[in-house]
Amino acid sequence: MSPLADSLLTTIGDLAGALRPLWVRRLQDQINSRVDRVPTLLNEFGFDDYGLSPEWLKRIMLPSALLYRHYFRVEAIDIGRVPTGRVLLIANHAGQLPFDGMMLAAAMLLEAEPPRVARAMAEYWVSELPFVSVAAARSGALVGTPRNCVSCLEAGECVMVFPEGVRGMNKLFRDRYRLQRFGLGFMRLALETRTPIVPVSIVGSEEQQPGLANLTRTAHLLGMPALPITPTFPLLGPIGLLPLPVKYRIYFGEPLLFEGDSSEDDAQIEEKVDVVKAAIVAGFERGLEERGGIFSD
Amino acid sequence: MEKILITGIAGPIGRLLATRLASSTDVCGVDVEPWRGANIGVRVHRVDLRKRRFEDVMRTERPDAVVHMGFMRRFQSSERMRHDVNVRGTKQLLDQCVKYGVGRLVVVSSSAVYGAFAENPYGIDEEFPLSASRTYPEIRDQVEVDTLAGAFIWQHPEISTAVLRPVHALGPTARSMMSSYLRLPRVPTVMGFDPIVQFIAEEDLVDAIVLTLRHRLRGIFNVVGSGQAPLHTAIAAVGAIAWPIPGPLFELIGRRLFERGIWGYPPGAIDYLRYPVCVSGRRFVEATGHVPKVSLREMFRSLRRRTK
Repeated sequence: MSPLADSLLTTIGDLAGALRPLWVRRLQDQINSRVDRVPTLLNEFGFDDYGLSPEWLKRIMLPSALLYRHYFRVEAIDIGRVPTGRVLLIANHAGQLPFDGMMLAAAMLLEAEPPRVARAMAEYWVSELPFVSVAAARSGALVGTPRNCVSCLEAGECVMVFPEGVRGMNKLFRDRYRLQRFGLGFMRLALETRTPIVPVSIVGSEEQQPGLANLTRTAHLLGMPALPITPTFPLLGPIGLLPLPVKYRIYFGEPLLFEGDSSEDDAQIEEKVDVVKAAIVAGFERGLEERGGIFSD
Repeated sequence: MEKILITGIAGPIGRLLATRLASSTDVCGVDVEPWRGANIGVRVHRVDLRKRRFEDVMRTERPDAVVHMGFMRRFQSSERMRHDVNVRGTKQLLDQCVKYGVGRLVVVSSSAVYGAFAENPYGIDEEFPLSASRTYPEIRDQVEVDTLAGAFIWQHPEISTAVLRPVHALGPTARSMMSSYLRLPRVPTVMGFDPIVQFIAEEDLVDAIVLTLRHRLRGIFNVVGSGQAPLHTAIAAVGAIAWPIPGPLFELIGRRLFERGIWGYPPGAIDYLRYPVCVSGRRFVEATGHVPKVSLREMFRSLRRRTK
């Protein structure tokens, strides 16, 4: 980039910054001070071992924080239960697009004490997407391989996992608040690294974009992970996948520490996974009872 | 006095290593290229590893230790030629080491052999599969050399063989792919990608080889330097200008230019500008206590072109 274009861009950036309403600037200041309190090991160029950059994170967090405060009006309940040090957040996954992951990460940064970066374990195709891959890495996401997860946990990080994967994200509206089959990998990693698990029940995301059908076969033919049909998608094009302004309530359960051998049979691992699932379901029950309505407090 | 033979002695790292070792050991080396101005006492034999005359060198020199880094790394010559020089040359060298009772062997491979893939984890260890040739057939020979040497460790327990897989070497004299790439006036990158890249200073790599010899290491070791940085950060720190090009366009143009011999980087190399190959150097550090001395900033500064 030429120096002229560079300075022009900076000027535009500054101007846009100055034109921001006061409450947006206040939110940005709040994000900045919270990000500054996250203990991360940075090298001389301001990046951690996995490519996270606090400076990038501050900028990336603004849209996420705006959604958190003003669109989904998220309430993080019992977030103080998340222990310090290594921890696995195991949550339900829904809503066609991973806003639940964004909001959980925002909760950990904006509400947890001290603020934390919740590491997302991304599908590997995320790293194949231009721009998205960089944004993901700079905000702390890693390719979801067991090795990455173990090295993160050993470094005392907070890792969030959605064991339902796409099965959950693209579940149908009639299956809301019904957990889909859980992957077992997270439990083996928790046993291997002796990591406490915090079951997280996200109430709200399951109604944000009601799935009427999922054309799995067509999706696979097109090389996509899923092809949901919702009241607005594909009718309105990509915009149709945006979520409804549902009210999010995120319930953090008591930390669970499991004992055992990470190479146990699936059946034994599954028993432990069922304990986590039951805890998440208990959170759903509490949340559905406590909330006034899908869109209201 | 102990005698060390270095293959590829006229290359930048070979010269540095020879100079470093010359004060305490008897150093000789082979290379197809000449090294004018070599230290007094360093004997440079201009032979090809594949030729009969190389055996004559081994017979007359009878080295105690061999450091093998005589590879053809440039892509200007044909793939067949490179494969023959690198793979058959290595095989010849390994055979000669057995025949002439070499006690220690260090093969300098590269961490590029793991391959650049979207699903690569961070902290790749030495047991990770060598998949580079899946998308980068042009360095198949490097993968084969590494595999040959790796098998040799177990086939010949009487020889302490170490295979080093260093990350990208940078320095005022280094001619690694990455250092020549970063020296370009305008550095083409893949738009929307910014992988973390690990670097080691050439001096630190030389230190690592010396330590490997001193500790009589056996086995395979990743070797990392003092740090890593996202590609665009590295380019900016070198003082160059990044030129982001959309991936498909980059591949198309890159392939054409490479086939015409204008551009020295084969199409398979583009993935290294997209995806990270981040290795863990823990095993080597535990075995030798290697501490890199040159900081990342100094490494980048050493590549900087003199400003007008």
